[in-house]
Amino acid sequence: MSSDYSYDEEGTLWPFFVFTLSGLVTLPLSYVLYKGTRDPAASFPRIKSDYRPKNADVIDATRKKDRRKENKLWLVFLVILGWSVMAYTMYLIYVTPVTVRSIWNPYDILGISESASEKDIKSIYKKLSRMFHPDKIRPDASKNETIESLNARYVEISKAYQALTDEEIRNNYIQYGHPDGKQSYSIAIALPKAMISEGNGKYVVLIYSLLFGVLLPYIVGTWWYGTLRRSKEGPLMESANRLFRQYEENIDVGGVITALSTGKECEQALKGDKADAGLAKIESRILAPGETTPFAGGLSVKDKEKLEDLESGPRRKALALLWAYLGRVDLDDDALTKSKFEVAPIAHSLTKSFTAISLAYGNTAPILASYYASQHLIQAIPPKASPLLQLPYFTPAIAKAVEGDSRTVMTVQSFMDQPDAKRRSLAVGKGLLTEDQYRTAVSIARQLPYFRVAKAFFKVAGERCIIPSSLVTLVVKGRFVPPGSESVPAIDELELEDVDAAEDDLDAILGRKKRKQIGKDEAGKPIYEADTPDEVFPPLAHAPYFARDYSPRWHVFLTDSKQGKMAVPPFTFTQFDAPIYKADGTTPSFAVQTMKAQFAAPPQAGHYTFVMNVVCDSYVGFDTKMEVTLVVEEASKAAEMAGEDEISEPDEDSIAGIMNAAKGGPPPKKKRVAEEEDSEEEEEESGTEEEVEDTSDTNTDTEPEN
Amino acid sequence: MFSIDWWSLVLPFSYVAVLGGALMTFSTIYRKRKAAESANLEPWFGPHLQRNIYLSLLHLEPEEGAEKSPKIPDSVIRAALLRRAVEDIHRIIQIRTAKAACSSLLQRGSVGDDLWQRFSRAEKEMEEELRDVVMEANALAPGWGQTIFQSANEINANTILRKRLDEIQAQTESEKQWWEKRRAQIQKDFMSELDAGDKPAVSKAPSAASEDEPVLVEQNTPSATPSGGKKKKGKK
Repeated sequence: MSSDYSYDEEGTLWPFFVFTLSGLVTLPLSYVLYKGTRDPAASFPRIKSDYRPKNADVIDATRKKDRRKENKLWLVFLVILGWSVMAYTMYLIYVTPVTVRSIWNPYDILGISESASEKDIKSIYKKLSRMFHPDKIRPDASKNETIESLNARYVEISKAYQALTDEEIRNNYIQYGHPDGKQSYSIAIALPKAMISEGNGKYVVLIYSLLFGVLLPYIVGTWWYGTLRRSKEGPLMESANRLFRQYEENIDVGGVITALSTGKECEQALKGDKADAGLAKIESRILAPGETTPFAGGLSVKDKEKLEDLESGPRRKALALLWAYLGRVDLDDDALTKSKFEVAPIAHSLTKSFTAISLAYGNTAPILASYYASQHLIQAIPPKASPLLQLPYFTPAIAKAVEGDSRTVMTVQSFMDQPDAKRRSLAVGKGLLTEDQYRTAVSIARQLPYFRVAKAFFKVAGERCIIPSSLVTLVVKGRFVPPGSESVPAIDELELEDVDAAEDDLDAILGRKKRKQIGKDEAGKPIYEADTPDEVFPPLAHAPYFARDYSPRWHVFLTDSKQGKMAVPPFTFTQFDAPIYKADGTTPSFAVQTMKAQFAAPPQAGHYTFVMNVVCDSYVGFDTKMEVTLVVEEASKAAEMAGEDEISEPDEDSIAGIMNAAKGGPPPKKKRVAEEEDSEEEEEESGTEEEVEDTSDTNTDTEPEN
Repeated sequence: MFSIDWWSLVLPFSYVAVLGGALMTFSTIYRKRKAAESANLEPWFGPHLQRNIYLSLLHLEPEEGAEKSPKIPDSVIRAALLRRAVEDIHRIIQIRTAKAACSSLLQRGSVGDDLWQRFSRAEKEMEEELRDVVMEANALAPGWGQTIFQSANEINANTILRKRLDEIQAQTESEKQWWEKRRAQIQKDFMSELDAGDKPAVSKAPSAASEDEPVLVEQNTPSATPSGGKKKKGKK
């Protein structure tokens, strides 16, 4: 057995190696490329709408440009390179002749069948040795024979004969497959011979040092500095830093918009001659008196002062463009209109960073302001303007006519909840909507996903009451009821309860989707109902002016109304567990949706009243604010409550008993009677026992405010 | 004794030299850049106007031709110092509130390292500024150093309150106008309703409807009521 390695001299192995390696890299990359060229938004449902706002072509072009930007040129190059390498190695594999080592078979050499007897073998051998003995025959030049080849043939024949007759050699043959005993085998490294041949060494070293000395540090460096350059939320670090400086405790939506214009991304979008070209024009347009507002851009006097305090430059232009976008102000200039629609998605991406910053401060007003800013940017509505502008064809004047001279704005829901005749009389008319426009607006309003909260309560999984510092789940039950939906079915009471999974139900505990068993087929195998998709995505936001496809998110968080502070940070929901629309994609299914958020209960017992905010970041006026009360019971009380109906109280020396003691519960009582007395007193005190027993969760449901 | 083949050692030594040299140049250049970067960091706060006023009052140069610098009344200097203290309080409050947020954001990677550097520098500067103010106050009037920041804090709180009040007061005019208009409108509607009261059919002007909307909604479309309150009760 030889131990030194040889290299692949015939070139039969390394093509396989290279083919496999490049395939491993190229196939995933090709998949990524294929995924990237397809529109990622295509898999999302959409709100059916044929409304085209003015400048729709510009908006579409911006949207497409953004999609194209994501396709990387180097990826295409790499994939092409990978495929060509694979093709070349495949060709090599196909072309290179395969050297097959035949298995040494004595019967073949002697030319007899394997069932031949020893006598036959002997006679055949004698015949053959007489024929082929090197002393007997002369090498025949025409048959390309030499003395050596004749000798070799004779040796083979005698070996074959011995393998079949001689005991020792036969053993060798059986054990190793060859009469001479163990054959040597060689290990070849699947690298081309050229790589190690004399004189090429320096090139190999050069390539090696380029790969590991230059390329690897370069890739690691770009990755590292790339992560440093961007903040966790996505915007550039520089922008996040500037936004942090812009934070104020009592910032409003207009203030957030002003703050967003500081982003470095805005500067990058308005480079060179774009930096302040046309600034005067934009400003004169947005500061002109609007239809219903003092300024056409919809900005307040305070916002106007802030705008005018800025030095002229990219930041001031970005802010002016943002106001022009929000106020839907016509700019009469192709370049300006284009930048107007480009700057809004940039500002929207910055809101995420601002939200993170305001969450770190923990004050309610800025958090809400940043979510509202996101809503207004997506819908192109100025702060404090009517949410009715979300509907197509609505202008500030029409919204004003619909709202009358009331001071508060009218939400889409309250507009759509009026009877059709009344709505029509308000919105349709001369100078208002036409009949067709009205119908489009109503049909779109009827598809908007408004999440109506039905019930919100706290619970601890598997427990009856909430003890201090336990892990509480906030369960929000509700339905998507688009504004103006008619004949909304009543909610099934049972669906509003959150039943804990049974302890032996592994599927439910692990969060696997359970399928209902419908029946059994003839063979007795259970038939399950068709798989429903696990994740239901809401339709992409209906935002005709926003030059991106955006999937709406819902944020649920608790605030303390007295201190104006956030109590529980937001939980974000982008997908739901029940279908929102029926198969046709427009009729709402009114299925009950569940949102759950977990947090740690306060360390002291008591009643805590929070304001629960459910905020959708894509639609204006779709938010829910309601009061919820978290009742935290003393741990000892909870243990007694559990003791009332329990079957086997953990003994002091069992593991459960130790756990109980560790939790701070009292040691189990010895006498049953005393325990019952206690629990009776308990009932008188709290008086909520029955309710608690009914629903197995501490009942804290309240009614929505709006 | 054995001889050393120095020539064969050239390669390893040169390797070590090149490696060490490269690392050293990298580190010096990197450090220099870092130092330059942190030196060029934007200050957290803008120029301190109140401090500048105070200092220029204190070190007033004599005017040309005049022998002595003009005498500044003590009360003016004290007022200037108090103003300076008020501004300091304002800044120190900002720093205190921002500190927790800034450090948690830095840990999460939501803001950059240089923001934190700027912040800590501003913090240090503010500490020195406070000490300076206390010393100046003690120099002007013994014992004032203990109380100057208390009064400055109250002044600051008062200004904030005033500002809020002014903001609210500024809205009164427009609110008043709106209510006048609204009252006139309601009166007009009422009168017209009274006039039409004899006739059985009551026609409602669409513009007047916004006020009694909720009632109307509940009468006409109980199924599509938006207000959770009523719906909720119905279900229970």
